[in-house]
Amino acid sequence: MTAGFLAPILGGVIWTLALSAAALAVGMVLGALLCAMRVSGGAVLAALAAMLILIFRAVPPIVWLFLIYFGLGAGWLQIGAFEAAALGLGLITAANLAEIFRGALKAIHVGQWEAAQTLGLPQVSRLCDVIVPQMLRITLPSIVSYAIGLIKDTAIASTIGVPEIAFQASNVSQATFRGLESFAFAGLLYIGLSIPIAMASRRIDLRLRSKVAR
Amino acid sequence: MTGLLDFWNQSLPQLLTGFTLSLQVTGLSLALGIPLGLVLALTLQSASRWLRWPSLVMVEIGRGASILVLLQFVYFGLPSAGLTLSSFASAVAAFCWCTAAYTSEIIRAGLQSVHHGQSEAGEVLGLDPAEILRFVILPQGLPVCVPTLLGFSILMLQASSLAFVVALPELMSKAQLIGSNTFRYMPLFALTAILYAAVCIPATIVVGRLERRLSRHI
Amino acid sequence: MIEVSGLVKDFGAHRVLDGIDLSVQRGEVIAMIGPSGSGKSTCLRCLNLLEAPSAGLLRVGDVTIDASRPVTRRQRLGFRRPLGMVFQSFNLFPHMTVLRNVSLAQERVLKRSRREADEISRQLLDRVGLGAKADQHPSRCSGGQQQRIAIARALALDPEVMLFDEPTSALDPELGLEVLNVMQELAAGGMTMIVVTHEMHFAESVSDRVLIMADGRIIEQGPSAEVMRNPQTERAQRFLSAVMNR
Ligand SMILES: Nc1ncnc2c1ncn2[C@@H]1O[C@H](COP(=O)(O)OP(=O)(O)OP(=O)(O)O)[C@@H](O)[C@H]1O
Ligand SMILES: [Mg+2]
Repeated sequence: MTAGFLAPILGGVIWTLALSAAALAVGMVLGALLCAMRVSGGAVLAALAAMLILIFRAVPPIVWLFLIYFGLGAGWLQIGAFEAAALGLGLITAANLAEIFRGALKAIHVGQWEAAQTLGLPQVSRLCDVIVPQMLRITLPSIVSYAIGLIKDTAIASTIGVPEIAFQASNVSQATFRGLESFAFAGLLYIGLSIPIAMASRRIDLRLRSKVAR
Repeated sequence: MTGLLDFWNQSLPQLLTGFTLSLQVTGLSLALGIPLGLVLALTLQSASRWLRWPSLVMVEIGRGASILVLLQFVYFGLPSAGLTLSSFASAVAAFCWCTAAYTSEIIRAGLQSVHHGQSEAGEVLGLDPAEILRFVILPQGLPVCVPTLLGFSILMLQASSLAFVVALPELMSKAQLIGSNTFRYMPLFALTAILYAAVCIPATIVVGRLERRLSRHI
Repeated sequence: MIEVSGLVKDFGAHRVLDGIDLSVQRGEVIAMIGPSGSGKSTCLRCLNLLEAPSAGLLRVGDVTIDASRPVTRRQRLGFRRPLGMVFQSFNLFPHMTVLRNVSLAQERVLKRSRREADEISRQLLDRVGLGAKADQHPSRCSGGQQQRIAIARALALDPEVMLFDEPTSALDPELGLEVLNVMQELAAGGMTMIVVTHEMHFAESVSDRVLIMADGRIIEQGPSAEVMRNPQTERAQRFLSAVMNR
């Protein structure tokens, strides 16, 4: 049994993870921004954010990637495939995370805001010490399950040449004519990657919960 | 500006034929995949492990492996196992698999939302399990799933854009084809995005309304 | 009509029923009372196999179930056939009209035609005073009406024994009264009934026999008036004085 020809696919794992992390980072920052705009109280800002969220989600990821990589790339803004993919997937992630954040803000009891206010905490510390930790706890399970979905979505970046798992599988398949094994292995890798993340999140979630219980 | 509009005007008919195919592939995958999802939702809860385990494997692969990889597996992989499918058939098979896997979870949650007392009432009336399912559980559980299933359908329409990797001449393939001839990628993919958005944005809004209306009744 | 011996039910390590013996004659009306958690519902649910008993023998008519042997679906269906059941929470089918609620099982189980079933359903609904509600959905009916529909639904299968699990507990006293009246008529008509209830008045005046349960056992039983007025065991006295003085 010589499964050695599959080895290059393993090499794609690091790119898959890096791209997922980058897209998640872009998504977190932009998502927090969009969420802040939505709850800012300004009607124009809120409407703008709602519209952006709607648009980011209404266009398939691959179209975003092509638009950014080939479209912007044709004379507007030259960026690498990895950056384009991180940005494209990040936009969609931002829209989804913004909604998750907003749901969490709603779930945090109004009393918490008021308590922070009556304690005379300044705005920033109010946000950082009282609200953000709670948001993290509430949103963590959703963020993780989103991240697991994101890992699979990064496969789309193979179409613009990011050398991640699906890209490598495609290469190996073309070079060896063993598409069956190549793509099956790639599929298993995606499944395999999501398992430890799900487990880790469960552990972190338990720890956060026990902290609250104490 | 007129240059852009002219270009869009020229490309639109081709893109629209592609979009029609996108909608067809999506529609067919959903029409086959959702009933299969219902079957999986039931076999996943079956007492027989000979039904439960294969279903679980189907669902875990359908949800866990990337849909793009699934598609390439079917189109590029299966021929070496002696099964060669056209790009249309491959796309439908892969999307259908994915649909079945995801909707099985959606439907299972919907069926579980039916109060346990309902099936007990059917049981004490002497209905057999199939009758309880048909007359009591499904009529109450399936409507609950409808908004989520519609939301998923929108995602599947978007996912159908991946079929260009197996050379299915749907919207994305058409856009790429025109693009490689004209090199006017930006306006082209922008129009592609607008086409998807033109369907997905109204659909998302409608689904959101439906969701809110349903949750108000519960 | 019903014969229970040595009925035991465990939920994991928790013994909920601890050796129930009971026999019920045809036409007898039995009230089962006792503190919350004493196992009354579980006992009733074991009686129609909604819960699988852990040990013991159950006989209804001429079908016997032995808890130590696996029960086939056919046995279970045959055993349940003469039993009608009414739940505390009604459990009407909310997506069907009142008429369909009553007719469905007649068509599927008794193989009656729809016309025949509907005709019988309307008669039964008239009997519980709800003929006018036949074409509405249950959500348009009050709790008391819903429970009477549930009774009609159970009666539609011509049961020989009716089991009631706290049929009036989810109802305002006034609405409960409508239901109790229907049950009283049933009793007067000779129906065999086992009623888990917190209605002491019903237990005392309508039922022939009262069972008091505590901690998974029947701690006292006998003719209604006697048990209710003059309980022998200390546990039963404590329970009765607690409910009477409320
Ligand atoms: N499905 C179950 N799993 C585990 N324990 C159960 C289950 N059903 C009932 N029990 C336990 O069995 C005991 C008896 O419950 P049961 O419902 O029979 O009491 P009851 O006499 O009907 O009380 P109530 O008057 O409150 O209805 C309780 O301690 C309950 O917690
Ligand atoms: Mg009870």
